Amino acid sequence: MTTTASIVDRLRARIGKDGPSTEATVEAGHLKRFVEAIGDHNPRWASEAPPTFLVALASASAHLEEAEEYGKGWLNGGNRFEYFEPVKVGDRITATGRVADVYEKTGSSGSLLFIIFETDYVNQDGRSVARLRGTMIRR
Amino acid sequence: MTIKVGDEIPELVKHPTTRQLVQYAGAQGDFYEIHYDQAFAQSVGLPGVILHGLLKAGFLGQLVTDWLGDRGTLKSFEVSYRGIDQPGRPYTCRGRVTKVDGDQVELEVWGEDSTGNRTTVGTATLAMKG
Repeated sequence: MTTTASIVDRLRARIGKDGPSTEATVEAGHLKRFVEAIGDHNPRWASEAPPTFLVALASASAHLEEAEEYGKGWLNGGNRFEYFEPVKVGDRITATGRVADVYEKTGSSGSLLFIIFETDYVNQDGRSVARLRGTMIRR
Repeated sequence: MTIKVGDEIPELVKHPTTRQLVQYAGAQGDFYEIHYDQAFAQSVGLPGVILHGLLKAGFLGQLVTDWLGDRGTLKSFEVSYRGIDQPGRPYTCRGRVTKVDGDQVELEVWGEDSTGNRTTVGTATLAMKG
């Protein structure tokens, strides 16, 4: 049986190490489906990505599946996006994620595992377009 | 129009449905079952299916970009998910200006459930055009 401590240790050993990069092209049809799902009909999004679109382009975070032995479910604690360059239709984006921190907290309803992850998004010109930092919680 | 501290952003009311959660799951590629499988959601202690945090972030992003228009650029956007929201209940996005420093503007934004509870809170930093 995998102990809780060993899951935390294994994830902690990943801190700061880049996961595999993934590449994806920003497609007009995908953008359209994304903004339709939000119900955001701003015509600007026919050619440009809205603020949260990058999460749909590549898996937001690395190594999270390894945490699934802990607790029974996921909660999303929060997301922080920093924007450096606009993301447009046709851009080829490379996403590289890493675990930034891992820690446990014990509250009234039991133990929680916090995984802080970061993902960097770089375009076809090698320019950094955005960085996402997120908190995923196992409970 | 001059932007000043305390200015309120026109509210944006969303009426999320389970269908919309499925649509969003597909568009984002997040197929975690708590967003569309009632029995699964209940098995992990939830009252039923719940909205994706990032869908609520998308709503708040729309609140900000609708208000901002082409007057400036979004530099950062942060949201914390404090509570769950279920489809079939209105979700109201609101915000206000908290800081104006030259061309830099900061907003406080939040999403309220139908009882007025702030289930998502966040901030946005904007660089306004000169």
